[in-house]
Amino acid sequence: MKPVAIRAENVSKTYSRDGASVTALRNATFDVMTGDFVVIRGPSGSGKSTLLNILGCLDLPSAGTYQIDGADVTHKTDAELSRVRSEQIGFVFQSFNLLPKTTAIENVELPMIYASRIVDRSRAAAALGRVGLAHRERHFASELSGGEQQRVAIARALINNPALILADEPTGNLDEAAGSEIMGILRELNAEGRTIVIVTHDDAVAAHARRVLTIRDGVLRETEVTR
Amino acid sequence: MKLMHILRGALRTLLRSKPRTALMMCGVIIGIGSLTILTSIGESTRRETMKRFKNMLGTFDTVIIRPGSGKNRGMVSLTNVEPSLRFEDADAIAQVPEIRQVAEVENALDIDAKYRDRAGTPAVFGVSANWLELRGDVVAEGEFFTGDDVHSLARVAVLGSDADRQLFAEEDPIGKTIRIGNVPFVVKGVMLPRGAGPAGGSLDNLIFIPVSTASKRLFNRDFLTMVIAQLRDPEQGGQAIEHVTQLLRSRHHIARNAIDDFTVTNPRAVMAQITSMGSSIRKLLLVVAVLATLIGGVVIMSVTLIGVSERRREIGIRRAVGATRYLILLQFLAEAVVTSMLGGLLGMALGIGGTQIVSRAQHLPFLIERQAMLGAVAASLALGIVFGVYPAWRAARTDPIDALRA
Repeated sequence: MKPVAIRAENVSKTYSRDGASVTALRNATFDVMTGDFVVIRGPSGSGKSTLLNILGCLDLPSAGTYQIDGADVTHKTDAELSRVRSEQIGFVFQSFNLLPKTTAIENVELPMIYASRIVDRSRAAAALGRVGLAHRERHFASELSGGEQQRVAIARALINNPALILADEPTGNLDEAAGSEIMGILRELNAEGRTIVIVTHDDAVAAHARRVLTIRDGVLRETEVTR
Repeated sequence: MKLMHILRGALRTLLRSKPRTALMMCGVIIGIGSLTILTSIGESTRRETMKRFKNMLGTFDTVIIRPGSGKNRGMVSLTNVEPSLRFEDADAIAQVPEIRQVAEVENALDIDAKYRDRAGTPAVFGVSANWLELRGDVVAEGEFFTGDDVHSLARVAVLGSDADRQLFAEEDPIGKTIRIGNVPFVVKGVMLPRGAGPAGGSLDNLIFIPVSTASKRLFNRDFLTMVIAQLRDPEQGGQAIEHVTQLLRSRHHIARNAIDDFTVTNPRAVMAQITSMGSSIRKLLLVVAVLATLIGGVVIMSVTLIGVSERRREIGIRRAVGATRYLILLQFLAEAVVTSMLGGLLGMALGIGGTQIVSRAQHLPFLIERQAMLGAVAASLALGIVFGVYPAWRAARTDPIDALRA
């Protein structure tokens, strides 16, 4: 049996806003196996983003435990969480989130600076080549099309060779052609054995998944996949 | 390793928004620039003042005794000198334990001197034969007069370089006869120039003659205008003044509560006082320069703070791909420090240029002290750290989730 990539047990998140406490996520419990391709669906305001922030170690749960590769992250320090983000997780965002006045290759190099490793431009170049953007290395992020920007973002997510890719509406800001290109790259990465978790409300994206979880009002449910 | 990248990244960020960086550096440039000018000019003024006083006095290791209480001493002329300091006083002062030797001086300003049809009004100094040894002046041509000349009231003269030029132009003066106040003198020698005096004027428009000749054949007065007493040990100025004062008070029979009829000063102490005071305008400018530098720091702080809120998304991205809070802090701190260091360096360049201009205009030697430069570098480093820490801390505290949502 394949090892567990991530494991959430009774993960809850409660915010207090203006004195009132709001529960964004309620007792989420699930495993994702290494190499799986999981889509988490849900309407906006359902707690998707909260879940993704916790999965990506940008946020800590209010209750419950969350493990990556068997290690509990719920009690880690800022520095330790940062290290998990840089080495074990690759982020892909809806709005790409590249540094604007920075070239494509510098954007890709960024996680290398923050990981404890030598910044190796040839690796960044290889990652850009891999997403088909070798000819765009020296372009500023702002000069690239949406699809190209998202491919740079994927190259950036890959640069430290993480086992887990977390994507938040990766095709949300793209036209159909660019979107399917991005999904193609994500499927390739999955085929290499990387675990992919995508948060989306797009059925076309969900169609790529081996497994679909649905979140509604902070409650997570397994959905039957008809494929 | 990471620090290198952070510094390089900071430099790159600063270069990408040049107008903002220039604005941030302005205050520091002006502040450090004017501090550089003020300290350099201050120091070269101090040294130049020292040098000019040294030109005038020859050495600081003396005490100088003048007649009169010192309250109303003006220019020394033929008429306004109190007749209280006598040759016998000089002999007695020479016996004071701290004193090695004394020079007697009998001088007056603006005396008519003539050679054929050429005339001038140099200062005439009647001095003892030990003048050269005591003062450190140097004869350029011919020789100085001797003890025998002093003894025999010889009518011999040694010219200062300006007096020589005025009376003889290109002609060789040695052996020629000049008239000082209608008394003929034979020129024995010419002195090397001393340079500028404390007020910037010449110290070379003068003629030396034996003090005895000055007293008996030229000025007709049997008192001295000054006694210069050389110290055995430069540190003993205080005791020497005390002993000389006691000696002269008893010799002049001055009552217990009466004021002295002479003045004793130690040039070294006077110099220390003059150079330590500095002008109040300079102090004011110094305060303004320090304020400008601090304002420069505040500008760096506020512009960096604006940058932090404008760059929330960038901070969020960096955090998401693995930057710790500490590294975000370092990044923004590095930007502030690099800005203030660059500003400091430009300010130093400005200051060096300004110093050159000012010193040329003021006829001061151009001088940049290494210590002042190190101080400027340290000050701009400290400025960047002090005013960079708060914005950097704010940046580090930014919540990546909020920042990415924006």
